[in-house]
Amino acid sequence: MKNHTPLLEVKNLDVRFAVRGGDLTALRGISFSLDKGERLGLVGESGAGKSVAAFSILNLIARPGYIAGGQILLEGKDLAAMSERELRKIRGNRIAMIFQDPMMTLNPVLSIGTQMVEAIKAHRRISTKAARDIALDRLRKVQIPSPEKRLDQYPHELSGGMRQRVIIAIALLLDPEIIVADEPTTALDVTIQAEIMALLLELCEQENVALMLITHDLGVVSQVTQRMLVMYSGRIIEQGPTREIINDAQHPYTQGLINALPQMGEPGARLFQIPGSMPSLKNVPTGCPFHPRCDFATDQCRQTMPEYVRSGNVDVACYEVSNLIEQEKRMQEAGS
Amino acid sequence: MTSPLVEIRGLEKRFDLSGGLLEQITFKGGRFQRKQEAVHAINGVDLQVRKGEALCVVGESGCGKSTVARTVMGLLSPSAGEVHYDGQRIDNLKGRDVLPYRRKMQMIFQNPYASLNPRMTIQQTLEEPIRFHQPDIARSEVQAKVQEVMASVGIDPDWGSRFGHEFSGGQRQRIAIARALAVDPEFIVADEPISALDVSIQAQVLNLLMEAQETRNLTYLFITHDLAVVEHFGTRVAVMYLGRVCELADTKTLFAEPRHPYTQALLSAIPKLEDDRPNYIRLQGEVPTPVNLPSGCVFHGRCPYANERCRKEIPKLIATDGGAQVACHAVEEGRL
Repeated sequence: MKNHTPLLEVKNLDVRFAVRGGDLTALRGISFSLDKGERLGLVGESGAGKSVAAFSILNLIARPGYIAGGQILLEGKDLAAMSERELRKIRGNRIAMIFQDPMMTLNPVLSIGTQMVEAIKAHRRISTKAARDIALDRLRKVQIPSPEKRLDQYPHELSGGMRQRVIIAIALLLDPEIIVADEPTTALDVTIQAEIMALLLELCEQENVALMLITHDLGVVSQVTQRMLVMYSGRIIEQGPTREIINDAQHPYTQGLINALPQMGEPGARLFQIPGSMPSLKNVPTGCPFHPRCDFATDQCRQTMPEYVRSGNVDVACYEVSNLIEQEKRMQEAGS
Repeated sequence: MTSPLVEIRGLEKRFDLSGGLLEQITFKGGRFQRKQEAVHAINGVDLQVRKGEALCVVGESGCGKSTVARTVMGLLSPSAGEVHYDGQRIDNLKGRDVLPYRRKMQMIFQNPYASLNPRMTIQQTLEEPIRFHQPDIARSEVQAKVQEVMASVGIDPDWGSRFGHEFSGGQRQRIAIARALAVDPEFIVADEPISALDVSIQAQVLNLLMEAQETRNLTYLFITHDLAVVEHFGTRVAVMYLGRVCELADTKTLFAEPRHPYTQALLSAIPKLEDDRPNYIRLQGEVPTPVNLPSGCVFHGRCPYANERCRKEIPKLIATDGGAQVACHAVEEGRL
């Protein structure tokens, strides 16, 4: 499918943090794309680099972090090479972001209405009255009860779930093409989480907005997204259609993550556990970063990072998987 | 049936909000008024923890589950009601009389970054409870005990001279568990022990807790908001809402056939791997504030089955045919 350009294409992105004693590589050769209206999940444990990946899409990496290489193409234009001025026209306008903690994102001393109007007026030349009407419309879209009243309320007067609805309303203000949501429901209770995720999904479908959902919750990913990326130690180790990965994960790490979920085991039985923990960026193992925790690790894994191979519609970076695929091929050839 | 190890009777806990006498007095409409307000965190909870079981208390934030844990441990004193341990009332004990129970009952906290003293080595952290509870024990014996608990939680005994910050979150939680096990307790209260950890680490810690339960014959009171963990780990489950227990049942029974409308909604909100879309029971409104409790059933404002009786009369926990105890008029009357 070379003939269509995706809405967003990230190519070989490297992000590093300059700290005392040398650079730490937080993202290493990340490549993926996002089509119009597509919902993409980004999964990994803490330290995998998923939030850095989300921030870098808006080129929001602050010093000491910097983009060391690669491109972030929004309809062919490279965000990594843009000036701050040009980036401002895109942030919040064409690409909106939703963060984990709604109390941190809302300004506590400004009313909801003021904050919403401010965001619109930063990008469009319209009257305050017209901006307020847009704000009101978006609050209705996120199903907040009595939206007129909310415009004059302050963030502390709302509950956690309501605040996250306001944040979604703000993200929708300027009809963005992409929403990047970084753990939008982690701070919320399960019943509220279910409501917010359902709402986000409905709105993205209705407005044909592309969603990039960063989360550690595989259940949420399988409910909301069409494709997913699995990250480990700054790399994408597996990517493809969500259903295919959840039902039949290829990479040993993804398999381990899924099998470690309590809902996968027999009640009372020991859970599957991946030994050890994610390496720190200061000493990333050579070769495949997962090899110290992997049952299938060979000398090859310890020395060189595997390239992506395709299994079904899934791209996986694992020697074990590529060996299996080749074996299968040989068997088929021998058979025919 | 054997007598319960821990029994909570009619437990209530209020946290005063109104401050001192002078702060309570306001001048309104030409006269002075005294106004007292309190957060009603627990409102009449009866629970029995049987020997050898893991009783899980679940609910959303603000439902009082952590307050129950702390009151049982004696970290908070109840406003009303009693806590019994092995037939002996313990909530009114003072000074030296409490000590034997402190040894038998230990607690594991949610955040291993906060529960370990940053200025103590692991060796010191683990020695302290042993020395405190058994002051006459020989130094070599303390040493041996520390080595034994460290090995049993999978921490290398040679790391004793390290400090808490040198360990990862999962390792810290293992150390916190080792500290609880160091005095050979019978009963452990674990307040969200795995919520702060990553999925693959959660599995490791859950396995460790189950192992300790088998080898040391422990009884758990396990507080969590994660229902998937409960299904895996719990013997029985108590679901709490706004300071009351609304359903109490065997884990299998509860997950197979939840009876209380709140339990049903809560279970439906867990994001499941096999779902392609969010699929849950929508509740109306939000959890009311525990300052002004609703009359009658605390859940009536959000319950689709509420009627006049629910608004007036507080439902009691009543045993149903399925073996569950449910506090719901609709279930009792056969409407649900």
